[in-house]
Amino acid sequence: MSFLLTCPNCGEREVTDFAFGGEVVPRPSSKPSERELNTYNYFRRNVAGLQREWWNHRSGCRAWFLAERDTTTNEVRWVALPGA
Amino acid sequence: MLDLFRKRRMWRPTAELKDNYDVVIIGGGSHGLATAYYLARDHGITDVCVLEKAYIGSGAAGRNTTILRSNYKTSEGARFYDASVKLYEGLGAELNYNLLFSQEGHLTLAHTDRAMFVMVERAEVNRLAGIDSRVIGPEEIEGLAPAMAMSRDAVHPVMGALYHPPGGIIRHDAVVWGLARGVDRGGAEIHPYREVTGVERSNGRATGVTLSDGTRVGAGMVVNATAGWSSTIASMAGVELPITTHILQAFVTEPLKPLLDVVIVSSQMHVYISQTDRGEFLIGAEIEPWTTYRQQGTLNFIQEASRHTLELFPQLERARILRSWAGLCDISPDFSPILGDTEVENFLISTGWGTYGFKAAPIVGKTIAERIGTGTTPDLIEPFALERFYRDRLVSELGAAAVSH
Amino acid sequence: MSERLPPNPRERINRARTINFSFDGKDVEAYDGDTIGSALHASGQKVLSRSFKYHRPRGLLCCAGQCPNCLVDVDGSPGVRACTEPVRAGIKVTHMNAKPSLDFDVMRATDLFGKPFTPPGFYYKTFIRPRRLWPLYEKVLRNAAGLGRLAKRQADREWRTEYRRRRADVLVVGGGVAGMAAALRAAELGADVVLMDDGPELGGAMLAGQDADSAKELAESIRAAGVEVLAPAAALGFFDGLVPAWQGNTLHQVRADRHIAATGSIEQPLIFDGNDLPGVMLCSGAERLASLYGVRPGETAVVATTTDRGLESALALQEAGIEVAGVVDARAGDGSEELLGALAAAGISVHRGTGVVKAFGRKHVRGVVVADLDDEGRPDPASKRGIDCDLVAVSGGTMPATSLLLQAGAKARWDEASGSYLPDGVPSDIRVAGAVAGHEPRNCAAKSGAVAGAEAALSLGLGSEEDRARLQADRASLLRETEGPAPAGQARTQDAGSRNGKCFACLCEDVTTKDIDYAIEEGFDSLELLKRYTTVTMGPCQGRMCQLASIRQMSEDTGASIEEVGLTTARPPWSTVPMGVLAGRPFEPAKRSAVHGRHRELGGNVMWAGDWRRAYDYGDVRAETMAVHEGAGLIDVSTLGKLVVSGPEAGAFLNLLYPNRFDNLKPGRIRYGVLGDDAGRITDDGTICRLDENSFYVTTTSSGADAVESWFSWWLAEWKLDVQLTDVSQGLSAFNLAGPRSREILSGLTELDCSNDSFAYLDGKRANVVGVPCLMLRIGFVGELGYELHCPGPLAEHLWDSLLEAGAAHEIRPFGLEPQRILRLQKMHILVGQDTDAESNPLEAAMPWIVKFEKEEDFIGRWALEAVAERGAENKLIGFTIENGTVPTEGAAVVVDGQPVGLVTSSRFSPKLERSIGMAWVPAALAEDGTTITVSDEGRQISAAVQTAPFYDPDQELLRG
Repeated sequence: MSFLLTCPNCGEREVTDFAFGGEVVPRPSSKPSERELNTYNYFRRNVAGLQREWWNHRSGCRAWFLAERDTTTNEVRWVALPGA
Repeated sequence: MLDLFRKRRMWRPTAELKDNYDVVIIGGGSHGLATAYYLARDHGITDVCVLEKAYIGSGAAGRNTTILRSNYKTSEGARFYDASVKLYEGLGAELNYNLLFSQEGHLTLAHTDRAMFVMVERAEVNRLAGIDSRVIGPEEIEGLAPAMAMSRDAVHPVMGALYHPPGGIIRHDAVVWGLARGVDRGGAEIHPYREVTGVERSNGRATGVTLSDGTRVGAGMVVNATAGWSSTIASMAGVELPITTHILQAFVTEPLKPLLDVVIVSSQMHVYISQTDRGEFLIGAEIEPWTTYRQQGTLNFIQEASRHTLELFPQLERARILRSWAGLCDISPDFSPILGDTEVENFLISTGWGTYGFKAAPIVGKTIAERIGTGTTPDLIEPFALERFYRDRLVSELGAAAVSH
Repeated sequence: MSERLPPNPRERINRARTINFSFDGKDVEAYDGDTIGSALHASGQKVLSRSFKYHRPRGLLCCAGQCPNCLVDVDGSPGVRACTEPVRAGIKVTHMNAKPSLDFDVMRATDLFGKPFTPPGFYYKTFIRPRRLWPLYEKVLRNAAGLGRLAKRQADREWRTEYRRRRADVLVVGGGVAGMAAALRAAELGADVVLMDDGPELGGAMLAGQDADSAKELAESIRAAGVEVLAPAAALGFFDGLVPAWQGNTLHQVRADRHIAATGSIEQPLIFDGNDLPGVMLCSGAERLASLYGVRPGETAVVATTTDRGLESALALQEAGIEVAGVVDARAGDGSEELLGALAAAGISVHRGTGVVKAFGRKHVRGVVVADLDDEGRPDPASKRGIDCDLVAVSGGTMPATSLLLQAGAKARWDEASGSYLPDGVPSDIRVAGAVAGHEPRNCAAKSGAVAGAEAALSLGLGSEEDRARLQADRASLLRETEGPAPAGQARTQDAGSRNGKCFACLCEDVTTKDIDYAIEEGFDSLELLKRYTTVTMGPCQGRMCQLASIRQMSEDTGASIEEVGLTTARPPWSTVPMGVLAGRPFEPAKRSAVHGRHRELGGNVMWAGDWRRAYDYGDVRAETMAVHEGAGLIDVSTLGKLVVSGPEAGAFLNLLYPNRFDNLKPGRIRYGVLGDDAGRITDDGTICRLDENSFYVTTTSSGADAVESWFSWWLAEWKLDVQLTDVSQGLSAFNLAGPRSREILSGLTELDCSNDSFAYLDGKRANVVGVPCLMLRIGFVGELGYELHCPGPLAEHLWDSLLEAGAAHEIRPFGLEPQRILRLQKMHILVGQDTDAESNPLEAAMPWIVKFEKEEDFIGRWALEAVAERGAENKLIGFTIENGTVPTEGAAVVVDGQPVGLVTSSRFSPKLERSIGMAWVPAALAEDGTTITVSDEGRQISAAVQTAPFYDPDQELLRG
């Protein structure tokens, strides 16, 4: 248990209910160069601040959703199902 | 012994910052200090400044679980860490500071046949690299750690272990202070409570840093040795890293009479256990899965680590937890470090240390100093260049490193 | 029990009931209600422990569980605070850190003679050379260190503990007057309130004083108001809003919307030579001992103080029947006139502007030396004089207990007026009340609490306009009482003594003021460095007794202001807590198949396989293997992940996920698939059966089931295709019926035509088998004719039994994982995670045929695999055989010129082929049939011959037949 996260379907839960999916990194829309591909696969902004990221409500509805969290405080500012 | 009666300053009071240094090292932890130390020792480079945003050793150097070992899975890793352990063995005498290196051995337990497989793989790679590392059975384990519960009916029975006799624990703060004293006597400057907020560049090369109070410090070479904060410092130089930052946590119990000499690691139970010379049981687990820069521990960690520790040492159920803490880890995609040059000239990095950076401090210092002093990258760290991620040439410690203390 | 005072109305003991326990083997009589510490003190046992480093005798100091002086072992539990632990009949209490006995401890030599050799960090400066002797020295150091002793060995956990979760509107930490007032007000306003306190009885500092009765009344009224009271329950920390508390066998985990910190303050000791002698107690400790337990803390007391607390205490002690030989007040001028008047009336002399410079006595205080202090607080040697006493009650002011607040993100601000660090920048969901907020005088603590309680409840939307108005009024009046100059007598806390002799700044770690000076002179001149070097504040008291003293000394030594010196990081737990409590109930979740009981009955050798418990074999690996080759075998594969992917775009979805095609798979047909990521690396594999135009049945590996479901649903979330994903892993069981006679067995149990023509290799069909609806997949993981039957879990046992029963005539045997591993290895069917690792891609893992670059659409991993194809395979997964039957250990290295270049991933002796076979990763140059490779296995060199085609039935004739 640490911080709380709000699942868009289920509501507020302990973070241990969720699986972290990492910061949102858009997949290249067309064939990338080797450098672009490896940047997409391996490199992360890893910001100290507001980060848009994926979460999965693993111990709940199992939905994937997006969140914006301040990585310096773990405060979650915004959550939404993708496309919503 | 005579030092006992001589009250000598460990280091000079902090000097005035100069406008310019040959080398500016960001991060006054074990890596930054070791780099400054070997710059002077091996290359006579003393116009060096170590900038630390808090007190020396305040980051990962002072928060790790002090375990040293070299039984890595890849040949590259094993060779590199072996060189590090060997430097550590002589470091206390060299610095004339007892680092309390307790080389009582390191056991990685296997509870499944799958885990045994990984142990065998590591043992073989280690053996071929000349590292003392072998797979042992329950009886030998019992002899090395008689206090551990070894019931065959246990939920996770101990099937065997990777035994690494040269592994052990060392006093992390002593390493920091011993190195800091060495740096100071070597002529370099250490500046605590100086936070870097910018890296200056000109024509694709790093030329200096700016500090939170606006001070500018020019540099012929800038070294980023900031572990969990590597990404933030690198981005100031325009360098993107394949790093995510996570917390790793540990706790100690109140001091107890000696029960355990060796280091016990169980990857299945996500826990590693040692007993310090003070008598505290020092227990750590794996990183939290989510990224964060917030160094606050979680209750969940203490609960899980306690439960798993008690499966191995049930008698600790009444031992009291005294203190817990969290530190930041810079995790790389292949669980191997990233060392050396970047695409910004004169901007070197030491990152990707995950949970095994402290073990590498002397060899990082030595090799980075060599890179600076000679202009060429030592063979030992060649495989760990940042560039490998541009070309998908990983040095995968995955599997071996997941809980790798 | 000669040391008892006459009964008083506040005492917690029942003198009519005695309880016996033992201390170091001696019988001790106590009253019901005593703590171990009070009973021992009453029995004349004044020394309760020996100190960590110098083994100095130590006795009761705080009587509130705050200091390290009374740590004992109780029935094998080390580190118990004797001063707060209730006495229970028959318990065995022993001292912890002395040899051979508490009275005579040989290690005391380190104190008497070793001091010059043991400055802070002495071990860093000694035993450096020769290195080979260090292990010897280390052993000595290790044996000298440590306090408690645990069993050398213990088979299992013996203590049952539980977790309890509680959600509340308001959590109040601290059950003193402020906390209770806060809880009461919040509850009155309709909030669901939990209050936790580490003492056995609510009331905090009030209990030992004149207001004990009103504390009891307040406690009753909060219970009546519906507040849930957890006591004694020590709050352990603040974890992002979650507050755990330890109560007996339970770890409460309370999450509340609002928090009220009413954690009080901690009385500080004074620094002087011998300030650790038994007989030196905090004023509050002496009062508690006298008042709550009727125990005489001493015959004759000297009270040493820097604040009015000491003046009050002197009066209280005298009233309790203790002779007060004098009050030594460091303040020359300040001090409440009222209290000074009362002291004069009581005949107690007050030495103003003086301090204690030394407490003397061997194992117990026999007296103190006092001296006049100059303006800087330095004692004048000429004025030294002695006062005989056996109790030195000290009060160095108080330190607000801000730890939990700091953990919650608050800051601490140095308040010069009160001489303490007060909380600042407190997060908005937390209110502070009472002494921790600096609202020290007791008359405003209740109001402070009521305001905090009302604020918490009102901020949750409870209460009326009227309540708001009342809050405004209360706030205003609280402000009037707490603002302005500090009340007379609240002088800046300071250390009143000298720095000669052994003045302990830190009792836990035996750190003297000289040690601190020494360390600072060495250059450890920031508080965090000082802490790590001297270990001050790192002991069992968590800095309660020593933090302020070390800050003050750092400030004096370095010239930095106290504000600049700052505090060290507050780290949980705030109170030490046994690991057993945090561990909760021992449990390990295990997955078991619907027919797990049958495996046990059949003699299965059940072991872990990932999260599952599975039968590795049923006692005869060879016979089980041969049964599959010669007759039939049945294995439970319910552990496979099973997903139904349906919808108009299901085929397109699978095309995007897998490197091969699925949109062109015909309904009723099956195709093997390998999953990978965008780096081209293999993550899982399984079979995919197209059920109908719009739906596919996907199986995954057992260990990868959750990850694949997660992976699929993640890409669905990203791509938003018209696809539904249903995870049926838990609902369906699956058995693989394999062997040349499996067709015969199956045919007898179903009406489906099982002939090879109508139910061919890689067909998937739905039919009833012994009345159980099944999806039957004709696949051949083990290399013989076989059918994987997937059915609803509740019916699985019937199916399993029927198959074995019908198979009996065909020599069927259940077979376990181990025979399956041999069988599949003969076919070079890979096990993801064993034969592949996080580096493997299908092009190199002997499956280049599965990657369909010609597919027009994109698929996950395509770009990376194209790059691999372009550069060419560097390593390859191959099969090998070993002539002499040697089976290398899995994990053994493949070497060239003594250097590892690959590894053996699988190896077995095949009873069918009567050969040793295996798979290994080797450099591409060695991946040719017939090449000899060298395996290094624990140093042994073994030659093996490369074989790229399956070892058994390479042309799939048996599978197709």
